[in-house]
Amino acid sequence: MKRIATCLSLLTFAWLPLGHAQQPAADPGLEPSTTLAPATTGKPPAGDWTAYGRDKAATRYSPLDLINRDNVAELKPVWGYRTGNLPEQAVLDKKWAPETTPLKVGDNLYLCDALNVLVSLDAGTGRERWRYDPKVSTDHIPYSATCRGVSYYEVPDAPSDAACKRRIIEGTLDAELVAVDADTGQPCADFGDGGHVDLMEGMGDSVPGYVAVTSPPAIVRGVAVVGHQVLDGQKEDAPSGVIRGYDAVTGELAWAWDMGRPGKTGLPEGDEVYTRGTPNAWTSFTGDDALGLVYVPMGNSAVDYWSGNRREFEKPYSTALVALDVTSGEVRWVFQTVHNDVWDYDLGSQGTLVDFPAQDGRTSPALILPTKQGDIFVLDRRTGEPLTAVEERPVPASSLPDETLSQTQPVSTGMPSMPRAELTEADAWGVTPLDQLWCRIQFKRANYQGMYTPPSADQAFIQWPSYNGGNDWGGAAVDTARNILVLNYNHIAMHDQLIPREEADKRGMVPLGVPGGTTSSGGSVPQSGSPYAVSIQAWRNSFTGVPCTEPPFGGIMAIDLQTRKVLWNEPLGTARRNGPFGIASHLPVTIGTPNNGGPVVTAGGLIFIAAATDNLIRAIDINTGEVVWEDALPAGGQATPMTYEVDGRQFLVIVAGGHHFMETPPGDYVIAYSLPAKGDPKLPDFLKD
Amino acid sequence: MPASPHAQGFTYWALKIFALIVALFGLALAAGGLWLITLGGSWYYLLAGAGMLASGVLLFLQRLSGVWLYWLVFTGTLVWALWEVGLDPWALLPRVLALAVIALLSLAFVPWLRRHNAREVHA
Repeated sequence: MKRIATCLSLLTFAWLPLGHAQQPAADPGLEPSTTLAPATTGKPPAGDWTAYGRDKAATRYSPLDLINRDNVAELKPVWGYRTGNLPEQAVLDKKWAPETTPLKVGDNLYLCDALNVLVSLDAGTGRERWRYDPKVSTDHIPYSATCRGVSYYEVPDAPSDAACKRRIIEGTLDAELVAVDADTGQPCADFGDGGHVDLMEGMGDSVPGYVAVTSPPAIVRGVAVVGHQVLDGQKEDAPSGVIRGYDAVTGELAWAWDMGRPGKTGLPEGDEVYTRGTPNAWTSFTGDDALGLVYVPMGNSAVDYWSGNRREFEKPYSTALVALDVTSGEVRWVFQTVHNDVWDYDLGSQGTLVDFPAQDGRTSPALILPTKQGDIFVLDRRTGEPLTAVEERPVPASSLPDETLSQTQPVSTGMPSMPRAELTEADAWGVTPLDQLWCRIQFKRANYQGMYTPPSADQAFIQWPSYNGGNDWGGAAVDTARNILVLNYNHIAMHDQLIPREEADKRGMVPLGVPGGTTSSGGSVPQSGSPYAVSIQAWRNSFTGVPCTEPPFGGIMAIDLQTRKVLWNEPLGTARRNGPFGIASHLPVTIGTPNNGGPVVTAGGLIFIAAATDNLIRAIDINTGEVVWEDALPAGGQATPMTYEVDGRQFLVIVAGGHHFMETPPGDYVIAYSLPAKGDPKLPDFLKD
Repeated sequence: MPASPHAQGFTYWALKIFALIVALFGLALAAGGLWLITLGGSWYYLLAGAGMLASGVLLFLQRLSGVWLYWLVFTGTLVWALWEVGLDPWALLPRVLALAVIALLSLAFVPWLRRHNAREVHA
């Protein structure tokens, strides 16, 4: 296993530029950062977890060290809670993916379930304090029932006993913004219409499932900034991807950034609607109180795998990080990670804010942005300029008559990348020579020209890394005390093919909203309004289900931000639940599985992460990458865990909800771990061994 | 030649089934391997498949030479696998494991085949 890891890290280094990378013209990293408060402005109390990524900077770093390398082996479940409210089995099997990370403020935990029911728990005991059900029906579920988390806001000038002085705000699958009192769960009367704001206002035609909020709003300088998912792959004329800021107290629209209506930041008037078919942002944003910016990781428009219909005004913002002025909604700067993206390499990772160390010991206010294609970009938050070298590299041209792709794509050469060495026929994998041979034949029959192989219709094309990452919505964690970046990634390939419209019509492929249309955005999707539908499949043996590329299928790595070198890189996840024909092998072999959900880093020298398809939560020694503790969850752990302190005791909490795309068992469990103490409540049955 | 009572015993049938598996495995590898060659891919699968097919036929005919031919294919596979992927354990798994299991099983038939061939020579 060690050897594989070593090979992988060698591959990682092999990707580093052999020539001379072009340095950014002016290195803003050399400016002293004294004019700016550090990234950790608004640092929460050490024992709290007040935003999705713990703090506004989204470091996922906790300064707690009560649980550490010396005692982590003693970690046990101490309470469990079920959110209840589970939908019917078909929804659980095909759509359930809660991906939730709770908040902890004071002695309260706040979370949403996958259908947006808000819950407050006693953080020490897991006892329910209140719940609020916004009554989201299951027909609003887009690709997945997901609620990554909620946001906490304290109204600055309200008296301390005023209702909704402290409030919880969430975006829902049925496109509402909901605010409730953090102490009682009562909807905030002063917010929108009785605590609800309708996000469909100005959106024009839509049917349930097209527009859904799955990530918590970023609240910066009193403005709650919200994006939404627009169902992938359905049709050109999809609802807008507009990004909006709402007053966190009143729920009034502060501004709308609609890239198709430059200069207009208000609600569309008359028959006008927010520009349809524009790129959207579905993942978590990062707020920057010091600069008054919100960093929005943009995706691409609903027709993901063909670009011939894209308008000039949308091209600069598609698959780009956009810094918006949180007061005016104006674009301050843009950094594009894929030009004219036709691979669904939309930005899934939340940006993490750090004080990035320059070689001379000074620091720059930076944003670290991992991507699905495996790059790690480091940008100056003031300007969007890269702080580490980025090269534009030539990429293959499209063979389609009706599409022109970018001749180059940006590659982050100044930082290590996630493993993604170019595939060869010999990399085709299987368990026996026969299934390996089949994958070799598929490889030779497919269109593969390395990274950014253009989509093709006459033959299948291989996408590597896949649209599931690299790094995805789990993002990265940074040990800010030691300047170590930790991130997990997937290492699987896709076997995709464009389907000419005539053929798609024969197969009866229609978008959601037309009879026969569904909210499925994996497998085959219609891309109506464009000349091609597209088939999207993980590249694996259709008979055995075994991937056509060799393990590890996922891993986790640590990078020293000072030296920009990989400290270690290890496979993540065991084979205990995986095997040919979908049969669990029960092998405790660390094979490295596909994974979704991010890491947490603590001052105790530990990384906590579940994410892999083995249903384990584990602690990893940040110095070595070695797993030093693990426990089996009652459902898939596809969520970022969190950690906090109550009364001198550190807890580790994870929502084990499973994930349909990761093929892990669904659930509604909230599980807290700690070092056992006298008087701990009796464990519920699902936590007994 | 009248079949001896032993010839119809467990080992006899086990060998027949084993030989069929080896032959079919070889046939599939050879057919797919031929396809792979037309796509410009590796020649290994056709060669190994043809060797296994021949070995399977020989084993079915109760020839000891089937075992030795199989071991020739297996040794060649080891050399090819190390040449193609080195000591990478995950990459070696599909290339070596299944064929190694067959190689070990084939040895189990050696004593029976020896006795059988000896009887044939005497007859």
